[in-house]
Amino acid sequence: MPQNETIQDLGLDEYKYDFVSETEPVFRAEKGLSEEVVRQISAHKEEPEWMLEYRLKALDVYNSKPMPKWGGDLSSLEAVLDEIYFYVRPQEQMERSWDDVPDEIKNTFEKLGIPEAERKILAGVGAQYESEMVYHSLREEWAAQGVIFDSIEDGLKNHPELFREHFGTIIPMHDNKFAAMNAAVWSGGSFVYIPKGVSLDTPLQAYFRVNQERMGQFERTLIIIDEGAQAHYIEGCTAPVYTTESFHSGVIEIVVKKNARFRYTTIQNWSNNMYNLVTQRSMVHENATMEWLDGNLGSKLTMKYPSCYLIGEGAHGEIMSIAYAGDGQHQDTGGKVVHVAPHTTSSITSKSISKGTGRSTYRGLCKVHKGARHARSNVECDALLINDTSRTDTYPYIEIEENDASVGHEASVSKIGEEQLFYLASRGIAKDEAMAMIVRGFIEPIAKQLPLEYAVELNRLIEMEMEGSVG
Amino acid sequence: MTSALNPAAVERIGMSEPEWLRERRAHAWDVYERTPMPTIRLEEWRYTNLKKKLDLNSLQLSDAEAMSDDASTWPERLRAAMDEDREASGHIVIIDGHVVHADVDKQLATQGVILESLQEAITNHEELVREHLATDAVPAEEGKFAALNAALWSDGIFLYVPKGVQLELPVRVTRWLSEAGTAYFSRVLIVAEAQSQVSYVDEVLSDDFESQTYTSTAVELIAREGARVQYVAVQRLGRGAFYQSMQRTLAQRDSKLDTLNVALGASVTRVDLNARLLGPGANSDMLGLYFGDGDQHFDFNTSQDHVAEHTSSDLLYKGALDGASRAAFRGIIRVLPGAQGTDAYQTNRNLLLSPESRADSLPNLEIEADDVKCSHGATVGQLDDEAKFYLMSRGLSLIQAERLVVLGFLGEVLAKLPLGGVVDKVTRVIEQKLAQHG
Repeated sequence: MPQNETIQDLGLDEYKYDFVSETEPVFRAEKGLSEEVVRQISAHKEEPEWMLEYRLKALDVYNSKPMPKWGGDLSSLEAVLDEIYFYVRPQEQMERSWDDVPDEIKNTFEKLGIPEAERKILAGVGAQYESEMVYHSLREEWAAQGVIFDSIEDGLKNHPELFREHFGTIIPMHDNKFAAMNAAVWSGGSFVYIPKGVSLDTPLQAYFRVNQERMGQFERTLIIIDEGAQAHYIEGCTAPVYTTESFHSGVIEIVVKKNARFRYTTIQNWSNNMYNLVTQRSMVHENATMEWLDGNLGSKLTMKYPSCYLIGEGAHGEIMSIAYAGDGQHQDTGGKVVHVAPHTTSSITSKSISKGTGRSTYRGLCKVHKGARHARSNVECDALLINDTSRTDTYPYIEIEENDASVGHEASVSKIGEEQLFYLASRGIAKDEAMAMIVRGFIEPIAKQLPLEYAVELNRLIEMEMEGSVG
Repeated sequence: MTSALNPAAVERIGMSEPEWLRERRAHAWDVYERTPMPTIRLEEWRYTNLKKKLDLNSLQLSDAEAMSDDASTWPERLRAAMDEDREASGHIVIIDGHVVHADVDKQLATQGVILESLQEAITNHEELVREHLATDAVPAEEGKFAALNAALWSDGIFLYVPKGVQLELPVRVTRWLSEAGTAYFSRVLIVAEAQSQVSYVDEVLSDDFESQTYTSTAVELIAREGARVQYVAVQRLGRGAFYQSMQRTLAQRDSKLDTLNVALGASVTRVDLNARLLGPGANSDMLGLYFGDGDQHFDFNTSQDHVAEHTSSDLLYKGALDGASRAAFRGIIRVLPGAQGTDAYQTNRNLLLSPESRADSLPNLEIEADDVKCSHGATVGQLDDEAKFYLMSRGLSLIQAERLVVLGFLGEVLAKLPLGGVVDKVTRVIEQKLAQHG
């Protein structure tokens, strides 16, 4: 197939995920957050007593913590949360066979291209619709080797010891207000375990879809990569465009054990009415590598700072992120690397594009604790501004308690140069096309790390967004 | 309110002052009372915990009589510091908060240059002082400490350079503090009219103090169209001192307003520097240099506000930290909407010389215009092994090699503002501190 057709097929002429499916949930809790709602969630999931207690305690923690005053504008969030449904159960049980998924939900995901992608390249696929995972599958060959790729609920049911050993230890409920909220009302998300020495050669993928209006989604993911294992997990997020705000607050906990290697890729393309407040953290052990590849294109406000705690000697953490903020959007993203053990290394590369009234903020932390001798870290942030109404901010925190460390940070902000445009014009390239070309070049170092279909999609999106951006 | 810092003290200090100034002091005290004490929950105070670092309750106001204007009665170290660089357009000497000496080149005086104590200026040049003192640059509303200073300042310096007048030699101010447990409040007000040119060097010294001694200075620098102003502060206080300086520079069209803050002494140093670029073509170079040892604590909080279009600023703060000393740098470049054609740069580099030293760096950007060139960089690292090795291969000892590398590292800052006397003086003090390293 010629490449042009592939791009056409993606049909990104508009926000292509803006469609609503006519599904009737089997249960929907009262709107707003209350003890009653928390109890209902726990009851529906037939959870052990300790989990209900954990949730209720987290609800107290949530209520006791003030709204953050930093980051994006959360001033109207409390009012939004009062109107949101915290738990919507789309079907009675999760399916293992695609054919058993109810038609309306199936059609939704088919429009998003999931079964096709699964057939092609993936080791396993999970799909979350509203509050629950509706589908999870894993290729036989991996299951046979002891790989677990399941909904978080089934993780709790079927692997209670492994679950309890790690759940809430990497991101405790007290960590921040929204981590506490998630701990109280979590529902859906993946439970992943890759056994010692097993290397998945194709990615695991999870799709998150919010369909209903005024919906809150609170997925919780726990990933354990055992010693010497390797894997790649991809999540994609979409929702229809409503006039009211929706809310998504995930908590992602990851353990990468000795000599293991793990990459977590997010392509967040929520609709522009979504608050997206996510806590993502990894504990990286001896000589292990953790990579976050974070693409934030959608949402109204995203606050998300994937982090690597380098707790074993020789651990390596890497965060690569792309943010695109169009009209009315605020991407407040970045990353954190915390060096605890000696000889640990990290790098953060962040690229952002602000267009129209969009605002992108890089907020990051590089911390070297006492004793993390010979730690090395490098942070680079580049921001591109398209219009005179666009805004960009950079807030990198650098905290160094060890003299035998080397840490560098660099950031630059620029607009597309007249000379660049002039040069391309002299080669017969129209201005819109030239803008898109320059932007593609700007994000290329990170875009090329993406799986092909996402790289193509990202480029197409950029092209579309650049149309009409110059007078 | 404390037993020494209270409305009665404000009243007493302003007793013989004109009505407008007494009102300003009273207003400032109100602002002080209304404003909560900053805590580490505030971004600006994240790295300095005032609860632990400053005990206002323990401080008294100075009751020392002014010393005579006879240099032979002044402290020896103060005289030594003055002798190191006699060449000047004028001098001011401040001992324990009192201006005891002021002189200015006679020819400059006839051209209208004013250099005098702020208290005298209130009488001699009331309108000029009234227009600028704690109004545009560092008003009480700036914050808790700006308000405290505006309420309780006892004396300070007024420097006025008329249109087109250019001072070849710097103005030199030398300060000495001696009373342990005292709080000193002073102000500096410099107005450089269009096309004028002036350099100003302000050095503060003391011996070590047995109990905490606090000095607060509010620095207001105004450069009108095309003026060129250099401001240099050299802090060489003894241990036990808490040095606080709140500085704002207002740079009008085509002016150049540069600052250099050198911090070598004191137990705690806190500098707030806000550069405002208000007219097209305005430029500010902002330099900083610090060298810590023992348990010294440095906190620099800078901002570069690009208000007008086609303005530029370039900040370079470098420090070396030995012993268990600690430095924090928090800097922000703000490009306001409409400030097109801005060039703004910001660099903070730290050298950690010992296992117990610590550096935090937070260089920020907030950009609201698109036609800009902005970048910032920050590094924290140790001595370059290769440079040391090279020097040792040329026959230097390890300690000599280390000293040379540190001097080279810090020298980059001084090379950018090669003001006669200052470079030698600062280099000498750093060498003394380095002699204790290793």
